[in-house]
Amino acid sequence: MALGAPATLAGAPAAVPPAPAQWVTDGAGFLSELVRAALDARLAQYEHDSGHQVLVWIGHTTGGTPIEDWAVRAFAAWKVGRRGLDDGVVLFVMADDRKLRIEVGYGLEAKLTDVQAGAIIRDVVVPRIRAGSRDGATRAGVEAILAALGGAGAAEGAPVADQDAPPRPQLGWGTILLLGLLGVGVLIFVATHPAAAVLFLTTLASNRGRGGGWGGAGFSGGGGFSGGGGRSGGGGASGSW
Amino acid sequence: MKKLLPIGLLGLVVILVVSVVSGYNTLVRLDQGVRAQWGQVENVYQRRADLVPNLVETVKGAAAFEKETYTAVAEARSRVGQVSAAGLQNVVNDPAALQRFQQAQDGLSSALSRLMVVSEKYPDLKATGAFRDLQAQLEGTENRIAVERMRFNEAAQEFNTRRQTFPTVLVVGFFGGRFAEKAYFAAQPGSEVAPKVKF
Repeated sequence: MALGAPATLAGAPAAVPPAPAQWVTDGAGFLSELVRAALDARLAQYEHDSGHQVLVWIGHTTGGTPIEDWAVRAFAAWKVGRRGLDDGVVLFVMADDRKLRIEVGYGLEAKLTDVQAGAIIRDVVVPRIRAGSRDGATRAGVEAILAALGGAGAAEGAPVADQDAPPRPQLGWGTILLLGLLGVGVLIFVATHPAAAVLFLTTLASNRGRGGGWGGAGFSGGGGFSGGGGRSGGGGASGSW
Repeated sequence: MKKLLPIGLLGLVVILVVSVVSGYNTLVRLDQGVRAQWGQVENVYQRRADLVPNLVETVKGAAAFEKETYTAVAEARSRVGQVSAAGLQNVVNDPAALQRFQQAQDGLSSALSRLMVVSEKYPDLKATGAFRDLQAQLEGTENRIAVERMRFNEAAQEFNTRRQTFPTVLVVGFFGGRFAEKAYFAAQPGSEVAPKVKF
């Protein structure tokens, strides 16, 4: 068994595909189109009812990166789940690697524990894949995940405190007054010494630009489908067949 | 033009002041980010330490084998407790303290992986639900540790990069020890090699 933590995490970031535009993405011809569409509709309805975003993403390979590492990066880049709730789950399947992983957002770790995720992979999905039923395996896996998460969960579970997000700095009246005065000074300066002003403003702007982000996680803009969450702490389980 | 020159100089000073203030605020924010992330790192390590007693009990109960292996785990677990108790207040700013912390945790990592490897020899143990659950929890926790450590290093790197960048570097000079460089987690030594098992 692979207990050694994937210490390669700090290494070269694996290329993560752009955020999917639907709930079930099958890039490897793993599912029949009928089942894919049915599952997609099922998960769309589930998100509508419960608010939790559950995705299935099937690809060929992670390109040598451990699937745990790959999954946590994709989860962050796609911003799965709602912002502040991080209530997303993604079932990753890598067809060529014969590996799969359930990655659970911070907000759902209590509902879908590592033990449950491990049991779903080990007892529900893998045996069906081995028996040759990829459609059935995926469908049963999704149903097991939804059963663990529970239904219509929109009202339950208050928003988790956004621990990582530093509070926005509050501007006091004194600061605003000071800034106003400074602004006037800057305007005059710009009027008189345009070249020097441009130089300084560039310096300032380059500082501002790098300021955002949560705790240095560096999330990219993400596609139109993102829920805005995206923080998972490596919860879930992996398996292979 | 002569009249405008002092105003221009004033503007220059004003811009410098603004950039120093914004540099200071940025450093404070990044510093808080590093501390918050350190809290996450401590959480996941604590989560693992909490698993140990259960794991040792389960292994012990299923087979009174390899006493050495599970006492090694228990000992490594108590060393972790000692390091944590020895005050980790300023660990993010103290490379030596972080290294001590990491050494103790890595000791527990290798003791645990030896225990899991040795358990493979006992099919009866592996078949029990309790053991499989603990195994899943332990794997999940190890993965969480890797993730939170990586994020800690990223946060520390963002802080360190910023504190060396102009004009923020001026602020660091003014405030001396307030913005010390953050320490990093080193890659786990030997993590790329499978643990050796003594039979």
